[in-house]
Amino acid sequence: MTNQSARNNILAKLKSQVAGADYDKLPKETGFEYPKLSREQQLEQFVGHLESNHAQVVKTSKAQIAEVVARELKSLGIDRLLYGKSGQYSEEIQALKGSVTLQEFDFVVESQAKQNLFDNTPAAITGAHSAIAATGTIVLWPTVEEPRTLSLVPPVHFVIVDAEQLYANFALLMNEQQWHNKMPTNVVLISGPSKTADIQQTLAYGAHGPEKLVVLLLVG
Amino acid sequence: MLVIKVSEFIKNVKRDLNDPQLRENFRGAMDYLMDKRQAAFTDVDEWATLKEQCKRIKQRCLLKLPHLLEQLEENLQRNGIEVHWAETTEQANEIIAKLIAKEHGKSVVKGKSMVSEEVALNDHLEQQGVECLETDMGEYIVQLAKEHPSHIIMPAIHQNKSQIGKLFVQHIDGFDYSSDVDTLIKAGRNVLRDKFCQADVGVTGVNFAVAETGTLCLVENEGNGRMCSTVPDLHIAITGIEKVIEKLDDVPPLLSLLTRSATGQAISTYFNMITHPRQPGEKDGPKAVHLVLLDNGRSQAFADEELRQTLQCIRCGACMNHCPVYTRIGGHAYGTVYPGPIGKIATPHMLGLEATNELPSASSLCGACEEVCPVGIPIPKLLLRLRKESVKPRADMPQTVKGQGGGRKPVEALIWQLWALVHKSPWLYRWSTKLLTRLSWLMPKNLGPWTTARTAPKPAAKTLHELIGENEKQGKRK
Repeated sequence: MTNQSARNNILAKLKSQVAGADYDKLPKETGFEYPKLSREQQLEQFVGHLESNHAQVVKTSKAQIAEVVARELKSLGIDRLLYGKSGQYSEEIQALKGSVTLQEFDFVVESQAKQNLFDNTPAAITGAHSAIAATGTIVLWPTVEEPRTLSLVPPVHFVIVDAEQLYANFALLMNEQQWHNKMPTNVVLISGPSKTADIQQTLAYGAHGPEKLVVLLLVG
Repeated sequence: MLVIKVSEFIKNVKRDLNDPQLRENFRGAMDYLMDKRQAAFTDVDEWATLKEQCKRIKQRCLLKLPHLLEQLEENLQRNGIEVHWAETTEQANEIIAKLIAKEHGKSVVKGKSMVSEEVALNDHLEQQGVECLETDMGEYIVQLAKEHPSHIIMPAIHQNKSQIGKLFVQHIDGFDYSSDVDTLIKAGRNVLRDKFCQADVGVTGVNFAVAETGTLCLVENEGNGRMCSTVPDLHIAITGIEKVIEKLDDVPPLLSLLTRSATGQAISTYFNMITHPRQPGEKDGPKAVHLVLLDNGRSQAFADEELRQTLQCIRCGACMNHCPVYTRIGGHAYGTVYPGPIGKIATPHMLGLEATNELPSASSLCGACEEVCPVGIPIPKLLLRLRKESVKPRADMPQTVKGQGGGRKPVEALIWQLWALVHKSPWLYRWSTKLLTRLSWLMPKNLGPWTTARTAPKPAAKTLHELIGENEKQGKRK
């Protein structure tokens, strides 16, 4: 299906223009040196950005996950929660049994299961791969246990972020973790609930993704 | 591009300048976006450093472009993503239509993609009986109104909330008129949610294609980009060949300048990095992912070192937001998919200077666009260059821009030839200027565009040479 002649024409045209280019003589690309922040300052920056982007941030501990989630779900009037069975925090989440109906993400997203995910799933919970202080960003690296649609389709998304996994900025995160060696199927950076300003520059939340993002920040 | 009627530019400008509602909508939107951007760049040193860094990143990636494209293709294919090449918009449409037909696709949900506008994909697919729905809220509104985006970042900027409320009453079953933005967005959300769930195919653009890892990056706020690239079984991404960057390290500075320049956000709500189709055992994600790489005149811009800078663009839209011409005439008057300053330097390569010769001239060359451009494209300089290309004799070599000489008028060319002749000879110069002063009564009152807003100039009774000569004579007498 690949159009071979189009490919060859385009590449030939481009190559003829840069045939003699000397890649060793490229100018230096100096980046900006951002001031180094302490751990506390980074946490403050992370939370500040998220809150100004309309996310709710709850500082808590691993032991209190179930309690916090149950409380927030109750205040939202939601009695069901979708989660990944063998996800990072599945044990803590399972402690919610009894207070809410826990649904396992044990289906392939197609036909009736897909319809159900769109129509009858008010809230979901996932872990996070890491986080970025400079922009108030949560990094999800979806897995077989916690698939991509888990954090996308339900209108309320709870996400558990370990403060230990907070990096100063995106560049540092990718470098320290050597992302260039292996990228997963999908990485998504999330910095707040879904939003749009497409109608007369007026911000509205819940455009197509979750309208509410609750961040459980594990600090203890 | 079926929508293009650049030839009607002057008529469009008159029409839109005289539309007070449109003027108000654009003024409000541009002021908002300028304020947002300014608030995002408070540290002047940081801005200057990042701008220089990003300019150099893009220039490096362009210098290596053919090799990066090959590397990108190799890595994408290794990751299971198929790559297709299109020299023209027709080829791109054909490739996408075939991919959809192969899977018997009937409905497409689209994330915001200006390149898909450039190829007029919706029109093409609808002719093949495929429903093609825009899902970015702004694009959805524009599609309902049977219009085209008037801004590359905020497509429905030309409409206000009460106009959109009326539009929804017409098109969304059971919607009662409201101009409340939350209500409007919720209504759009509900309609489109069903469509995401049922669509066979998702089509999106690409903000950066990373050659090093074979990763497609997508910047968005609404989540429709995630929906389109996650829920349907088939995901087709389309982008221009200039969007390839060398490595992951290039992403953070470019992303930071892109979102801050566009909407003043430190980062967009979502940043997607797509590297594989659904892998064995995974429960969601498209089973197949394809990338269509489009040339459509980009290799022409690439062939000239000066014009190549056009391809540094990361499509943030800041040049439009700060352009005094765009703010006044709005995005539709241009008649092109890409309006504003970037449109004026990019479109001639896509459509040729025959169709677009008025665009490079529609600028006061104030330089605001260059000042705010996050990758340092010297837009005014490129506009001047295109003006020159558009009045060159058609046959002159080299033919750098297709449609060269498209704006050349024989009378104008003759006047300038005479001008050059007269200025080369002192005798002829004195003689002809003297003649002009003596014949000043022949000066017509109407001098075309010059006199639409000015009075016609009237030559003085005597030339400067004559006056100085008289002065000198008088001096000698004393």
